[in-house]
Amino acid sequence: MAEASRRSGGSGRTPSRGSAECSGGEEQEEMPGEDGNSGAEGNEETRRHIRHKYRELISSVQQNREDMLSSRSNRLTEVLEEANKLFGGVSRAREAALDAQFLVLASNLGKEKASQLHSDMIVFDPTAFAEDLLTFMGLNRLEGVESDDEEDGMANGFLPSDAWQRVGIEAEKYFKRAPTFHYMLGSFKMDPPVPKQRLERQKQKPSTEERRAMPAQLKKMEESHQEATEKEVERILGLLQTYFKEDPETPISFFDFVIDPASFARTVENIFHVSFIIRDGFARIKLDQDKLPVIEPAANEGQGTEQENQSRYQGVISLSPEDWKVQDEIIETFEITDPMIPPSPASE
Amino acid sequence: MGTQMTDSHRRFLQVLMSHGILEGSAVRALHRHCCEVHKVHYAHDKLDDFVNVINVHLQSLFMQIRKGMSEDDGRQYYALVNLAETEITKMASDYAENELELFRKTMDLIIQSDNGFAASTSILNLSDQLQSKKMKKKEAEQVLQNFVQDKWLSEKDGEYTLSTRCIMEMENYICNTYQDMVNKCNLCGTLAIQSQICDTCGIQIHLPCVATYFKGQTDPHCPNCNEFWPYEIPDSNTAINQPNSPQLPSTAPKEPPSAVRAKRRAVPSTSGRRPNRS
Amino acid sequence: MEECSFTQTQTPSQVRRNLEKRSPEQVDQKVGEVLQYLLVKDQKKLPIKRADIMKSVVKEYKDVYPEIMNRVGRTLQQAECRAAEEGHLSLLTEQVFGLQLEEVDTKNHIYILVNRLQRVEGDNMRVDDNTGKLGLLTVILSLIFMKGNVAKESVIWETLRRLRLDHGEKNSEFGDLKKLVTEEFVRQKYLEYTRIPHTEPVEYEFRWGPRAVKETSKMKILEFVSKIQNKDPQSWVTHYKEAMDEAATPARH
Repeated sequence: MAEASRRSGGSGRTPSRGSAECSGGEEQEEMPGEDGNSGAEGNEETRRHIRHKYRELISSVQQNREDMLSSRSNRLTEVLEEANKLFGGVSRAREAALDAQFLVLASNLGKEKASQLHSDMIVFDPTAFAEDLLTFMGLNRLEGVESDDEEDGMANGFLPSDAWQRVGIEAEKYFKRAPTFHYMLGSFKMDPPVPKQRLERQKQKPSTEERRAMPAQLKKMEESHQEATEKEVERILGLLQTYFKEDPETPISFFDFVIDPASFARTVENIFHVSFIIRDGFARIKLDQDKLPVIEPAANEGQGTEQENQSRYQGVISLSPEDWKVQDEIIETFEITDPMIPPSPASE
Repeated sequence: MGTQMTDSHRRFLQVLMSHGILEGSAVRALHRHCCEVHKVHYAHDKLDDFVNVINVHLQSLFMQIRKGMSEDDGRQYYALVNLAETEITKMASDYAENELELFRKTMDLIIQSDNGFAASTSILNLSDQLQSKKMKKKEAEQVLQNFVQDKWLSEKDGEYTLSTRCIMEMENYICNTYQDMVNKCNLCGTLAIQSQICDTCGIQIHLPCVATYFKGQTDPHCPNCNEFWPYEIPDSNTAINQPNSPQLPSTAPKEPPSAVRAKRRAVPSTSGRRPNRS
Repeated sequence: MEECSFTQTQTPSQVRRNLEKRSPEQVDQKVGEVLQYLLVKDQKKLPIKRADIMKSVVKEYKDVYPEIMNRVGRTLQQAECRAAEEGHLSLLTEQVFGLQLEEVDTKNHIYILVNRLQRVEGDNMRVDDNTGKLGLLTVILSLIFMKGNVAKESVIWETLRRLRLDHGEKNSEFGDLKKLVTEEFVRQKYLEYTRIPHTEPVEYEFRWGPRAVKETSKMKILEFVSKIQNKDPQSWVTHYKEAMDEAATPARH
């Protein structure tokens, strides 16, 4: 074996103190001068490179343990040969320690591999077992793709979604597992009889019923979060209706209505609340001769029949604080200093 | 008939236990399979006797194999149901408390609806009103899926109704809990969740029962009040009429463990009760 | 037959006398309740403690506990009859489920339900999430047995990785794979997951748990491996011999 041959080659090495306990990855940066007295042989660069290579080897062996042990692979021999080459360049205890650590790992694997070969006619090989399982699971091997990814021998392809269930259905036959009993009755406590609510069950076309039921449902769900919003929407609608009643002939400018010259935030809030009034059909927005939006309450107090026939519109209004200031100035030039929607007492 | 259970009965019970509910033809195949595996005499027409042997033994364990009809297609099913509501049955670990609360509220919606269905949106809207622990809509959606998978609910086009398994196990509970809100089918006499309702007298009839009863009629009339029956008559070809086996329990007994035998007929059939008025 | 000594303080004759104080219906009711309790606890395949049966169900019927359990066993179809040594307190309940109550921990009196019937082709049991989990479990049990009854966790994870299961990732079928394997299977007593002493960094290894021993056997698992690898079980000479030896020895405990 490669192992034996390199033992002779390595004779005369300095025995290392740390050997296997000296963990590869976490080693602290070398203290300058630590073994500096031994002088210049093996320059620092080369030694660092060798250590790096050893750590790589060690971690690759640790991660691919099963592959190393597999009867189908000769990776163990390969890594030993690689380490042999590296050892040629080792002259210091520190690198020798890494070599020793690697050797312990490799010889353990070698021992395990050898014992399998001796005791059984066939060796159980987890890698081969996994391969056969994949076949059993119905692995869809990708055509035209090399099936072994040389890095770790993983097969390519996709497993069907019931892959594990296939294994499970087969597995059931090797088990004496008790079936389980499931039920619904009695898993929650019996409620007192529900009070009679549905008096008239007959004679209702589901369509009209549904239409009526849906908004009720939604309202109920959001009540908790939106109570405040709803109140505010109602208040603003009240204001709009009052303004309109006072002077039905003059259209109300949408911007005049919503802008609060004292607060950008309230302006945005007002727009938000007004949008509900529009959505629910209690008011509508249209453009006047100057193509500026005006708002007026709906003639028959919302739920307008025409609303149902209308498709829904979404409007996006962009309003930055700068815009607001400009509008504010404009309004000031018209000497409108009071908001049409005064802040609600609740928000104060 | 023998009253002693054999391994064929035990295997049958185990398989039915694993599924909870099985369709009639699957049950007949299972009956045969179990007899063959354990090399006992198989008589294809003795299924209900076979099941009854098991039921005799289940009696003291608050369990029962019931026969029932699907409200969707009128096919016959067998289900292993629990009859007890005790401290012990509440320890069931299949669902969390809030999931069970969602189930109960879903049942409320279904039963209070006119057609026996609750829209998924309405059910999902319940998820943040749960008293035990609120649920995200996404979670509630998953829970609903589990209920369907476990055959407690069934779903059609985003609407949910009680599944055959649920009705078979919970019929008694539903009748007690919702008293005046639920009705029995005028034809077969079992609980009706999905049904057609007479516009005039308000009686309810299962869709498969409607299909069988009005089959071939061009001018259907209510079997109770004789008014015109204004609904579309569903296709009856899915309704399989099995010879009735009166000895198998088909509905919930009033007092769980004792009254095991029920008197109602299991499956409506053309040879069944027909009011004379039509 | 140490299972018979349910309540060490009671002799069979005491139990008999206590039994006379209860009506047969009351005892019947308790038997039904205990059985129901066992079935409920088994829904998630969790082991059942005797202390919990006492506390949750038997309660004031403690004095007739051996008789109740005896009859529960019969109802489940317990192979060995505990009543034999309890002095024939045999009020018979029929054998219904074909299940057995097995003690997996004789010190702490912990039980599991296992099947007396072997599943056969054509049973067509329900296929659900638990089916996939059983498949996964069987693969792990196979690895453990074939690796010499103990397997380093790295072996398990590496093999599962080849089967497209990464223990660091959430899996669509099994969710948190590591949790399922090292917690759920362990709680159910299918697996034992223990730290290997003196390892740095810490390493763990897997062994079969007592439920696996009761529900399956080395021979069954060898048959599974053979089926998957399309080989004769006897071609694994040492494994086959070990499995034969296990089958020849009556249940340990």
